[in-house]
Amino acid sequence: MHLWRNLGTLARHVTLAAAAILMAFPFYWMASSALKTNDEIWQFPPTFWPQTPLWGNFAEAWAEAPFTRYLLNSVFVAGAIVVIQIINSGMMAYALTHMKFRLKGLFTSAILIGYMVPATATYLPSYVILGELHLLNSYGGLILSNGVSVFSIFLVRQAFLQVSHELVEAGKMDGASHFRILWTILIPLTRSSFAVLALITFIEQYNNYFWPMLITKDPNLQLVSAGLRSFFVEGGAYGLKWPLIMAASAMTIAPLIVLFVFTQKTIIRSVNLSAGASKG
Amino acid sequence: MKSARLYNDFKALLFTLPALVPLVLFWFFPLAYVIYLSFMEWDFMSPEKLFVGFQNYRDLFENPDFYDSLRVTVLFCLGSVIPIIVAGLLLALLLNQRLRGGAVYRTLMFSPWVTPTVAVSIVWSWIYEPDVGLANNMLQAVGIEGVRWLEDPNWALVGVLLVTIWKSAGWSMIFYLVAIHNVPSDLLEAAELDGADRWRKFINVTLPLISPTTFFLIIVQTIQALQAYDQINVLTQGGPAGSTRTLLYLYYQSAFTSFQIGEASSIAITLIFGCVLLSLLSFFMGRRTVHYT
Repeated sequence: MHLWRNLGTLARHVTLAAAAILMAFPFYWMASSALKTNDEIWQFPPTFWPQTPLWGNFAEAWAEAPFTRYLLNSVFVAGAIVVIQIINSGMMAYALTHMKFRLKGLFTSAILIGYMVPATATYLPSYVILGELHLLNSYGGLILSNGVSVFSIFLVRQAFLQVSHELVEAGKMDGASHFRILWTILIPLTRSSFAVLALITFIEQYNNYFWPMLITKDPNLQLVSAGLRSFFVEGGAYGLKWPLIMAASAMTIAPLIVLFVFTQKTIIRSVNLSAGASKG
Repeated sequence: MKSARLYNDFKALLFTLPALVPLVLFWFFPLAYVIYLSFMEWDFMSPEKLFVGFQNYRDLFENPDFYDSLRVTVLFCLGSVIPIIVAGLLLALLLNQRLRGGAVYRTLMFSPWVTPTVAVSIVWSWIYEPDVGLANNMLQAVGIEGVRWLEDPNWALVGVLLVTIWKSAGWSMIFYLVAIHNVPSDLLEAAELDGADRWRKFINVTLPLISPTTFFLIIVQTIQALQAYDQINVLTQGGPAGSTRTLLYLYYQSAFTSFQIGEASSIAITLIFGCVLLSLLSFFMGRRTVHYT
């Protein structure tokens, strides 16, 4: 009996370890390929770890394309979007849950309908609109067009609905303004939802590619994914400089891996929240 | 009294405005606008748009490319959603019991989801490199002849799907971990008292109780699959021979490379229609499945 249990645990460990290695191996392969020479990378059979790691590859890749600029663009744009989305989804969710006004039902169902529409399908008309507003190729366009998320509003609304109405009513009795109630009662109570929201929005926007790539052709404004992709196609000349391409990819991925390691509890908690939100 | 109501409306407007402006500008107005554009003929450049009625839709439904991409889309959805959900469930079941090092496994398996699709797709295109890439090397090591992954119309979709599955399996695993954790232990104990073995307990108790999660994941992953762009753009750009061109990719190409705005808009409408249908389905089915606990 004891033996069987131990064997079961062992089998479980072996399966899990194999699965985990399989999942993480592309990252290892990226890192080890980034340190090889151009000759070694074409060697057969491949070396598991480079004979002499070329740390200089990172500096070289960094110098070949404006990666500092790309990274700063991504961090700045993603950061700005996080701040804007937190403010506007907090206010919108407050109005939807704790204010009385005409058209409230219409607003709520509009948000629900918005939740169902695939964002990518609106890229073409949004592109035309952005052009009309002369916001193509600008930080303004990048930030404004990503400045609202139906999912964020939905998530915050869900969090606000859980806060007891008595607390809010008590605040109203004391003559507190709506802003005060939102700021001193609701937000402190739903802090963790906001933390989750900020984190996943940041990751999403940092990783964002399709839409930013469409609306910014100017290399000075490109986000890191688009920049990396042009380096892959042009600078790397489609696979002639794999070590440099891998080094560049590693530098793009690294900030997120670091962020993930430090915040994984919060990120994983986001699952509970979005699973809850899905139950309407 | 009336003015008080107006005052309330005004205050609410202030609170909704910061979200409403971008929402109308980049969400609701584009929706109306894309419907309008789908009845027009236009190429971005010319100042005039020409009204053509349902011609774009007629052309689309007669275009063999449309049916090809529809087929690819269905294959892409099935080929990504089912493995993502099955793998997620299996991993969650393995990780569910208290296990030393469980958190490490969980972190490693979840990590692909956090990373940028473009960057990891570039890494995968190196793994798929036909001559010295890791994938063919490993196949060779076990005596299987490799394939030219992204250049072979029979394998390119498989290549794109593997990346997609790899990226999201850990994500669905996390959802299942939460769901399995929430299965009431007294129900499992009761089943045990009735003489159910592990398999029976899983089939009769756990699986039905986590079905809302399964349903949620199917819908979310399908909508994701319908919108997949980054990995296709990096790995294959819809090729070779259109073998990885999904509806979304066809839409992108006709809008931004051949500038057929009318045709592209009619594809967009088809996509929106599909997603709304799926969401409504999930909404009504969800109502039913969530409540039977």
